[in-house]
Amino acid sequence: MDIDAADAVPQPGSGSAPAQENADVEMPSLPIKSEPEQTPERKPGPHYKIRFSLSGHTMSISSLKFSPDGSKLASSGADRIIKLWDTYTGDVLRTLVGHTEGISDIAWSNDGEFLASASDDKTIRIWDMKLGTEIKTLLGHTNFVFCLNYNPNSNLLVSGGFDETVRVWDVARAKSLKVLPAHSDPVTSVAFNHDGTLIVSCAMDGLIRIWDADSGQCLKTLVDDDNPICSHVKFTANSKFVLASTQDSTIRLWNYQTSRCVKTYTGHTNRTYCIFACFTNTKGKYVASGSEDAKVYIWDLQTRQILQVLEGHRDVVLAVATHPTKSIIASASMEKDLTIRLWYDNEDTSP
Amino acid sequence: MNESLISPFNITHPTTVQTSLFALASFARFDPTGRYVATGRVDGTAAIWDLDTRAAVRILDGHVKAVSSLDWSRHSRYVLTASKDWNVVVWDLASSCVPAQRCLTLRFDAPVVSASFHPRNSRIILALMTTGEAYLVDQRKAHRARVELCEVQEESDDEGAATSTRVRSAITVARFDPSGKHIFLGTNGGYILVFNTHTKTMVARHKITGAGAIKGLEFTKTGRRLVSNSADRTLRQFTVPIYPPPTADGAYIEQELEPTHRFNDPINKTAWHAVSYSPDGEWLAGGAADAANHKIYIWDISNDGQFASALDGGREPLLHLHWHPSKSSIASTTNQGNILIWHCPHPERWGAFAGGFEELDENVEYEEREDEFDIEDEADMIRRKMKAEEEEVDIDTMPEAAKPREVQLHGVQPGDEDVTWADEEPDDDQQDWKMGVIMEEDWDL
Repeated sequence: MDIDAADAVPQPGSGSAPAQENADVEMPSLPIKSEPEQTPERKPGPHYKIRFSLSGHTMSISSLKFSPDGSKLASSGADRIIKLWDTYTGDVLRTLVGHTEGISDIAWSNDGEFLASASDDKTIRIWDMKLGTEIKTLLGHTNFVFCLNYNPNSNLLVSGGFDETVRVWDVARAKSLKVLPAHSDPVTSVAFNHDGTLIVSCAMDGLIRIWDADSGQCLKTLVDDDNPICSHVKFTANSKFVLASTQDSTIRLWNYQTSRCVKTYTGHTNRTYCIFACFTNTKGKYVASGSEDAKVYIWDLQTRQILQVLEGHRDVVLAVATHPTKSIIASASMEKDLTIRLWYDNEDTSP
Repeated sequence: MNESLISPFNITHPTTVQTSLFALASFARFDPTGRYVATGRVDGTAAIWDLDTRAAVRILDGHVKAVSSLDWSRHSRYVLTASKDWNVVVWDLASSCVPAQRCLTLRFDAPVVSASFHPRNSRIILALMTTGEAYLVDQRKAHRARVELCEVQEESDDEGAATSTRVRSAITVARFDPSGKHIFLGTNGGYILVFNTHTKTMVARHKITGAGAIKGLEFTKTGRRLVSNSADRTLRQFTVPIYPPPTADGAYIEQELEPTHRFNDPINKTAWHAVSYSPDGEWLAGGAADAANHKIYIWDISNDGQFASALDGGREPLLHLHWHPSKSSIASTTNQGNILIWHCPHPERWGAFAGGFEELDENVEYEEREDEFDIEDEADMIRRKMKAEEEEVDIDTMPEAAKPREVQLHGVQPGDEDVTWADEEPDDDQQDWKMGVIMEEDWDL
């Protein structure tokens, strides 16, 4: 079972990138691949298969984000670096160095021109993706910065950290606009909604809070009966619901208007780490998340059934990202593995 | 999007100053999205302010004399500045050059008082000179023209001497109606002239009895109503008539317009510097030309035009005001060049900090549900929960409020040629366009 996929693939960092056609062939047979290929009547649903295994990070990988056009994948890690990968060839495009401590989260601006990174060195840095250089440092957090996201106009950033605050920043002027004393424990996730009028935050105190982005007023607090640590939260595309991952191995979809949980997704393991969860809407409507059993789980949004489990990583899968337009999932794992894997659903991403 | 969580009630008028921008401006206008305000200055520069960050994000330096007016294209990509240096300059905000580069300059033969874009195409521009002439400039290849809009003179049977003594009335205000189908001109003689934009012919002349020189014209979003500001210190609201298509013989309607409402300050008899409707047309804000105070009067149009409130903005007299395109917010400019952004604050609801907590204004007798304290089998409960989760959820369809609402414009039928004419050779002003963020490199404003 435990085949080292990374060995079979040329290291992208060493210069010899795998040719796209060969990449499939060179992969050792992983459990998912064992099903017969191109059967005439394929079951509907996701059929993700590994396409690339990317090595380059030397410590746990904390976050993965596709660029808004999907052509690039950015990854960050505890090794203080950000790497930029070509989604379609698996080549390393760039390595961004500057943070003095590990990086916990990254976010793209909506035009793909900038990348923001949140680090344990208490700073947020803004990187110009054309030049590949750091152009701004946002100072203000008094402890580790753990999560961040841009608003749709990308003139504002929202960040959260171990100082238990949520901060809103004027990106162009590197100025803190608001400091919300949002939670009573480290803030684990923050995000804007689709029109930038709301902010959602969640923290280790188990609360999910919705804020008015303009006034900074708290509008709503969502809490589950058992109050498990909440580790990741994001709005749906239409901002009617929030998807929240909690460390009771459950992902919930909340209707925040009625404070009602409308869907629960279970089956994976999540008791210790802050693991990302994503929506994907390229083929069917799925929810994807990493897991502490080294797998990636894909659920059907509506039926809550597990449709596919991606196996191959050898350590906890912290970061998962879904491609904005194609059926591609990226996942990354911790110390014992250190690879980023790109999974393609062949039906609509065949070369 | 946040409206549903903040307040279940409808928008009212703004009540307090939310923020003040130190802009050295002589006026400020919101863009159609309401995310930005553009300000014009006496030194000939204009600035675009981002209301999220409350910072100037673009400086438009293109005039050597005061900027007299400014307009936004319909999706905010283009900005036009008119100046007393005889020029109208169009700026493309999609360009991220620093300093911003002009994309078009129109030169006239006199200082320009005001200029505006056609509501459907930024390549058609209406400009008004201090000398009282109005020009319609069409920059499209197939229509390239600069036409002066001339009032039709009554032909007199007397000798030439009689006609030459009749002084041509000077135009003091020039505005497109919201559909762009007609152009409304106000004259110093108290007339409103209506021109068809397509044919550039006069279709109506309205006498406004007792008004004196017309100083300003503002439409509601639909174009159904119109308010005029005039030398007699009275604001008059009119219902806009529906004009027939122009005829070949150049006939026009000669009609007196009777106002539905008159608004004035009965005590101080102050004049008005500016007037603006709320986005739904239910409120009207008038900026008083008071020499010692910053006063905004609000009238409730839905309540028969009753006076609703007077907003006090402090000691710096008001020069200009503009209502936000979608929210209960006003931008008013003081004579010191500060922009006051007014809003309607929502009281902080501390109950929002607690999960599953509801704030009540007064005590309510609690009625227990019949089965509220019944002991339910845990397995049953889970089954019931799972059953409830079977219901399909829609995570993609945008809520109604988020979609741009199609406004039914007054007097416009679908496929109206006088309106669609402007859609030929469209500009590059796309709906989903977004202004790029320019990283500030310590350049001083």
